[in-house]
Amino acid sequence: MEAIWLYQFRLIVIGDSTVGKSCLIRRFTEGRFAQVSDPTVGVDFFSRLVEIEPGKRIKLQIWDTAGQERFRSITRAYYRNSVGGLLLFDITNRRSFQNVHEWLEEARSHVQPHSIVFLLVGHKCDLEPQRQVSRQEAEKLAAAYGMRYVETSARDAINVEKAFTELTRDIFELVKRGDITIQEGWEGVKSGFVPNVVHSSEEVTKSDRRCLC
Amino acid sequence: MVESSGGDRGAEEERPPYGADVIDTPEKMNGLHSQAISPRDKKRECSPVNDDGGQNHSFGLLSCAKSPCGASLAESYDELRHQQNCPSLTVQIDAMTLQNGNEGDICQDSLDVKLDSKLHTVESRTTEKGGKFTNGKLFKGLTEASVDTDTTSASLTTDVNSGSPKHQVHPTPTETQLASVSHDGDEPSSAGSHQSSQASILSPSDRQAEDHSLGEQVETKGHPSDNERASRPHSLRTISNNSTHFLSCDSTPLSPDDEVSFPRTGLQQDLTFMDVSLNSRNTYEISRRQSAPDNIPGVLSVVASDQALRQKKHGISELFGRSLFSRKQKDTSMLSQSAPGWKLFGKVPLRENTPKDSRTIQQDSNQGNLTSVSTPNLLSTGEYEAKTGKVTQLPSQSTQGRRKNLDFEPLSTTALILEDRPANLPAKSEEEAQRHRQEYDEMVAEAKKRELKEAQKKKRQMKERFKQEESIANAMVIWNNEILPNWESMRGTRKVRELWWQGLPPNVRGKVWSLAIGNELNITPELYEIFLSRAKERWRSFRDTGCETEAEADSGASLADRESSLDLIKLDISRTFPSLFIFQKGGPYHDVLHSVLGAYTCYRPDVGYVQGMSFIAAVLILNLEEADAFIAFANLLNKPCQMAFFRVDHDLMLKYFAAFEVFFEENLPRLFKHFQSYNLTPDLYLIDWIFTLYSKSLPLDVACRVWDVFCRDGEEYLFRTGLGILRLYEEVLLQMDFIHIAQFLSRLPDDLVPDRLFSSIAAIQMISGNRKWSQVFSSLIKEKEMDKNNSPSLKSS
Repeated sequence: MEAIWLYQFRLIVIGDSTVGKSCLIRRFTEGRFAQVSDPTVGVDFFSRLVEIEPGKRIKLQIWDTAGQERFRSITRAYYRNSVGGLLLFDITNRRSFQNVHEWLEEARSHVQPHSIVFLLVGHKCDLEPQRQVSRQEAEKLAAAYGMRYVETSARDAINVEKAFTELTRDIFELVKRGDITIQEGWEGVKSGFVPNVVHSSEEVTKSDRRCLC
Repeated sequence: MVESSGGDRGAEEERPPYGADVIDTPEKMNGLHSQAISPRDKKRECSPVNDDGGQNHSFGLLSCAKSPCGASLAESYDELRHQQNCPSLTVQIDAMTLQNGNEGDICQDSLDVKLDSKLHTVESRTTEKGGKFTNGKLFKGLTEASVDTDTTSASLTTDVNSGSPKHQVHPTPTETQLASVSHDGDEPSSAGSHQSSQASILSPSDRQAEDHSLGEQVETKGHPSDNERASRPHSLRTISNNSTHFLSCDSTPLSPDDEVSFPRTGLQQDLTFMDVSLNSRNTYEISRRQSAPDNIPGVLSVVASDQALRQKKHGISELFGRSLFSRKQKDTSMLSQSAPGWKLFGKVPLRENTPKDSRTIQQDSNQGNLTSVSTPNLLSTGEYEAKTGKVTQLPSQSTQGRRKNLDFEPLSTTALILEDRPANLPAKSEEEAQRHRQEYDEMVAEAKKRELKEAQKKKRQMKERFKQEESIANAMVIWNNEILPNWESMRGTRKVRELWWQGLPPNVRGKVWSLAIGNELNITPELYEIFLSRAKERWRSFRDTGCETEAEADSGASLADRESSLDLIKLDISRTFPSLFIFQKGGPYHDVLHSVLGAYTCYRPDVGYVQGMSFIAAVLILNLEEADAFIAFANLLNKPCQMAFFRVDHDLMLKYFAAFEVFFEENLPRLFKHFQSYNLTPDLYLIDWIFTLYSKSLPLDVACRVWDVFCRDGEEYLFRTGLGILRLYEEVLLQMDFIHIAQFLSRLPDDLVPDRLFSSIAAIQMISGNRKWSQVFSSLIKEKEMDKNNSPSLKSS
């Protein structure tokens, strides 16, 4: 029996309110663009499987956070258990780009002792005429922080898959290399149902082994 | 903060949660408009402006002010009840929210609404389930069909709104309008416009993105004269972006070729059935309908909106089709003239011109024809057959009162068509043919059984609904005549509390909320105007100069904060109840919502605007006049729980969560353990619920009933409701893992039955070891104060 998914990664999506976090996630997990949708109050949850290599599937558990600064004290509790994160800004909103470093600091200080693999995402790239942040400076910032940079558009479905799958691949590499490990009590990475291991019924019900979700 | 809250909570035990303070008289409200309020005159503190003496006096005046609308509602309600041959459903068109994406603006004489030319999708977070209403899910499905606005706009008149009272702030005028529309048999145009407004309300879909996701399980409607009518696919299929289709109330495509005469009552009935609570701010109406077959229509849109969901609910939507059909049965005589009305809705959408379809249209029960009968789709086709074929046979049924004809003859027996295998394929062997015939017979028998059951179910639901209607009508009388005039003395009585639990009748809801929430802050309408002008001044200065003016320098929040608040308010408004199209730009309440929220940020710069507030303000606006809504809003947010959450007082929030968990474990120990095993902490679902007072996660009508009791019982009830929801879905939740639970709780099912929810809430005992909520909470506060070790039930998020 083939593994349904090898690993489950918990990703957190952060960034100023209105940059389009929920839209991007929805485009990725539901395949559609919602022109109008509810503001995220607190945190929302999404999931999707990605196949990063033939036969290798990763289940992504995506936490969509409320961007308003007020909610930071709530959302900062969620960094610790995330293995990856998408840090979004809106390329047509300069302030959202300026706040990126704040978000990073916020994340870094609350993720200890673990670490998060971040991807910098410049969203709403379909709105080229209103661009306020150049690609170069964003790339520069990303490089300075050791992150990749991707420009996406949920509306036009540009680079949405790419953003998530690249981040997933990066994390997967680190897991393969052993830089990131599964730990008891840490929700960032969980192991999927692996076929070659014989599971007693008792084992199957262990909380950190998940079959179909 | 913690200390004072603890103390407050202790004191609160002794008195009712919300004081009913003096309410300003209407005169004051009128007067304020004539005052010139300059921003320099702003007062920072609330000055008690009302000098009204007796509460009764002010209340009496208030009720007088309200009565014109209330009376009209009662009138229309009575009208409704007299119309025995019409279902008691009133169609709630919010004419204001007509959206005519294709054609640009619809001019509404009485309302002067400018609409965006961009279609809004109905998709929201709860998109799979549709909008906020339980019936919103139906709405959802229908909305994903684009409307052919050529015909709709042409025929769209303002008749439907003619004579409507100025719509500004009172929810009930629409019902009045609609009541008159629905019960006046001779206005095809208004019916048409009514329909098309329904249609247009239903129509928005995101043109760009919906290629694959739109689809409908559609019951094809029979039309005696139109054998060409394509049967809509019973599997879901996409509706292409730019074809405009109007779906009939049961989502059958409408032919553009139908004649003009519009079957008012029949179609109306169906539309009311379908669109029943789409735009209703008559929240009771919505909840009333919930008990009836409304669930079924809801399913359709659930089906329609999302592929995965569609597959899951396939069977149910089939059910829906059937039950709709049974309803339609009664109106077949109308149906046969119904062709005219359909024209209003534009062209028939893409026809699925599979040869099978066209053949199955014929009422051909030649048993020699066999077809592959394995899919349930065929049953629906069969019913379509039945309709087309049987229409002529049903005049006897249609002559019976529509409402009363709840028995009907299942038509699937004659409707399933066995077709010949296409000629180019090898013929079937005799055994095969025999086998197919057998299968066919079995299917027919099955279908028959199912339809009978459906009919019975519908009958029961109708009975339920009538009963509910009556009780609501009675309640309304009692509230208006006995309780409200004697509010202070009556509010605590057992009788009133019981009546309150049943749900406030829509036309008293706003009043009672206002009274229950009270006005501790002593805000007057004049004060509101003051803060509103400050807000407007600030917006203007941001817009013009982008700089902080001197006047705002002392507001306490940083410039960046305020600016982003402003942007955020704007954006959130457009995202508030998008399916209602009321609060979006150009919608009737857009400005009101903007004003209330803006004024609040001026009134409480220390709190400012927090996401989630827009929902609360919106619900209040739906039930109260603008100034009253602001007063209620400010006072409501001033309650300890709301203050704690909106200021994101993390410690205090944790206390609330901890208290919640005490009662969670007490009432639902299994589920509690299940959640614990996943580390699914209360913050992950309670924040959304508490911030928005359930208005985001529950259908709007249900949320309003929750608010009703919240006004009666206070914040404890919010947490009790949460437990009620968990209890209602306990079995389901026990089967789920973390992510599914989390997703489920943030998007509660559309088909949530209000009565079941409220029974579930009632079953929750807010007692733990002889301690009530407030005691548990107080002790948690004290624990923190005294720096004790965490109690076992105290979980950190």
